[in-house]
Amino acid sequence: MKNVMIVDDTMFMRLSIRKMLEKYDFNIVGEAKNGLEAVELYKKLKPDIVTMDITMPEMSGIDALKNIISFDPKAKVVMISALGQETMVKEAIILGAKTFIVKPFQEERIIQTLNKLLGS
Amino acid sequence: MTDDYKNDPMLEVYIFETSQMIEQLEQLLITSEDEGGYSTDVINEIFRIMHTIKGSSAMMLFDKVAELAHSVEDLFFFIRDQKPQGLDFSKVNDMVFSCLDFIKVELVKIKNGDEVDGDPSKLIGDLKILLSSISGQESVDKVIADKNDVQEVVQQYYISSARPQSEDVKKTFLAKIYFEKDCGMENLRAFSVLKLLDEVGDDYLYEPKNIDDDRSVEIIKTDGFKIYINTSKNFDEVQNILNNAIFVEKIDLSEIQNEEYEDKKNVETINIPENNPVKIPSPSCQVDVEKAEKEHVSLEHQNIINVSVSKLDKLMDLVGEMVIAEAMVVQNPDLKDLDLQNFYKSARQLNKITTELQDIVMAVRMVPLTGTFQKMNRTVRDMCKKLGKEVKLKLVGEETEVDKNIIEHISDPLMHLIRNSIDHGIEMPGYRESVGKPRAGTVTLEAKNSGSDVLIIISDDGNGLDREKILAKAQKNGILNKNPESLTEREIYNLIMLPGFSTNEEITEFSGRGVGMDVVRNNIDKVGGTIEVDSLAGSGTTIVLKIPLTLAIIDGMNLKVGDTRFTLPINTIKESFRPKDSDLIKDPNNVEMLMVRGQCYPILRMHSHFKIETDITSLSEGIIVMLEQDGKSICLFADELIGQQQVVVKSLPKYIKNLKHISELAGCTLLGDGSISLILDVNGLVAS
Repeated sequence: MKNVMIVDDTMFMRLSIRKMLEKYDFNIVGEAKNGLEAVELYKKLKPDIVTMDITMPEMSGIDALKNIISFDPKAKVVMISALGQETMVKEAIILGAKTFIVKPFQEERIIQTLNKLLGS
Repeated sequence: MTDDYKNDPMLEVYIFETSQMIEQLEQLLITSEDEGGYSTDVINEIFRIMHTIKGSSAMMLFDKVAELAHSVEDLFFFIRDQKPQGLDFSKVNDMVFSCLDFIKVELVKIKNGDEVDGDPSKLIGDLKILLSSISGQESVDKVIADKNDVQEVVQQYYISSARPQSEDVKKTFLAKIYFEKDCGMENLRAFSVLKLLDEVGDDYLYEPKNIDDDRSVEIIKTDGFKIYINTSKNFDEVQNILNNAIFVEKIDLSEIQNEEYEDKKNVETINIPENNPVKIPSPSCQVDVEKAEKEHVSLEHQNIINVSVSKLDKLMDLVGEMVIAEAMVVQNPDLKDLDLQNFYKSARQLNKITTELQDIVMAVRMVPLTGTFQKMNRTVRDMCKKLGKEVKLKLVGEETEVDKNIIEHISDPLMHLIRNSIDHGIEMPGYRESVGKPRAGTVTLEAKNSGSDVLIIISDDGNGLDREKILAKAQKNGILNKNPESLTEREIYNLIMLPGFSTNEEITEFSGRGVGMDVVRNNIDKVGGTIEVDSLAGSGTTIVLKIPLTLAIIDGMNLKVGDTRFTLPINTIKESFRPKDSDLIKDPNNVEMLMVRGQCYPILRMHSHFKIETDITSLSEGIIVMLEQDGKSICLFADELIGQQQVVVKSLPKYIKNLKHISELAGCTLLGDGSISLILDVNGLVAS
């Protein structure tokens, strides 16, 4: 079972993603509600994959991504983005995010994406 | 979007979080209005909140809400990026407030399972107009376009810096990549494919070129994304690399002539302006690790979960049942006359634990009034704008906690009282100055604990209540049934709480049509609270709400009348004693009164009032319980006191309520021996 960490500032999104993933036997090892928590938690839990929201208080997803990648260059981080954030998504990809998912998204989409990334 | 989603936990979370964010946002707006402008933090925060609402709403398929949130986000994106000079804050604030109101209405619809059918197009239009008035239309378009694409200069092509210098024979492949339908931001998907190629260090060209531009999305969607790859790798290797791309539906890979590649490359190279660095937005902030860690520590302490109120209600009910069950066991009639030392020792232990449990359950249900109080800022703001008055709202003791249920009942009354204060109490700024008061009026909302009650005090420094006007009005409306001379000041002021009373000559948008104060009173009555009004002509009005901390379990005194048991809330009992027959006085109308320490109090004989048969009808055989409420006292005559006990308040069954309109009963409870006791409503008793 693959370990996933969910990062999002809203409980709503965390719960949405958790529900989707748990149906498909992903193991949610942790949830963080801002970039700071995400970085700390990543170091502690070393999850196989991270879903990362971009706009968050305290520390944005981009900065968190940067910190995570510098800690673990092999980190697999999937950005969760809404329309209108193209610039930041691009930055995230340059910084080393594996891919991104656009909100609103379907269950199959996130599952497929994670499976593909984890398989490779 | 109706029934399927009702009671869906996701929906609950959505509603909860969105409402919370809206409240937070309102608070931010009001604060910044006080400060006369938005700070950078506030702008970022507003932007972030709208962005989050947009995302969540889109997930829940509330597209209209998402669309509106998106428009507000655009507005603040502009403000954040361009920092326009001379921004009309109040206008922007008004606009955002109307948008929030729209979302709030939609949330209510969602909560009630109604169709979410609000149409935000007018608001969105207004937002656009506002945005273009802040700046020239041109720059708005530009900025919004920039928002989606900061890199104005299109990155035309890219030759990997890690270009291998080897002289291997290179081949050229053409890859046509089709992304999955609806995966979103296809241009950036393409970008990430290129990133894969960068990693392996191959040269490539691609079409369409303008993948930094949203317009390329459509082309990529229909024609696919074409990459010409010049590499020393073989077909399979290239295929493998591309297979790592995410969201790819299909890749058509074919080998083409090297010349073709060179041609294309040459054409493009000519077009490339020199010195064309790719602008990558610089990381917004370097993280201060030390600070980060410090903040993280504080985060770890915050171990809070959200529990639905219905679960807490259930828990409260159960604890209530347990309190009853405990009484049933310990006071069981079978135990009478038995010598049970060990039993009582254990019983005391049980009692200790149930009491503690009860305290904890109560504490869990306590919520600070902060939210309710702060909501009033918005009311004050709107009122001031509409009425042209200047009012400051001062909040005191907002951290005071009360039961969750009670909060729900007092929010509306509070809002009404505040509206009344501003509408009827506070004078116009000009007038205030002329009578030597500060130009801006002050409304103070204060909460404090007082024993088992919470006092909520709403006071203003306005004009005060007009005694004569109230009396005249009460007389005119036929709600005055006593001689005005005999009324105390306080009784006169409390007349405004009666149904059908309104001291305002004109009906205003806010204070309504004289239905207000009695609705306030009803709401407060529902939670077992009381209202007192006090006023000083010319210098203001004070309204005190006395609200019990909790509803469900009260300290009661049980009395017996005939075979019937009654329970009185213990805090209303002033004293109880056995009177002498000689203290009884009768007036010419045969109304009984009791003389206690030189004062006369009316007597209410429970047995005759409730038509109960009992042997004890002579005063000296029974007991008198003196009750006080709202400054009025009454003596109840009962057979005997049974004892003090914590009782769980249960509402009277509907069929009894429908059958008999007994206003003197507040509810009922179960006693330890299994019998039912009626809880008396002291308000009702005193009034009768």
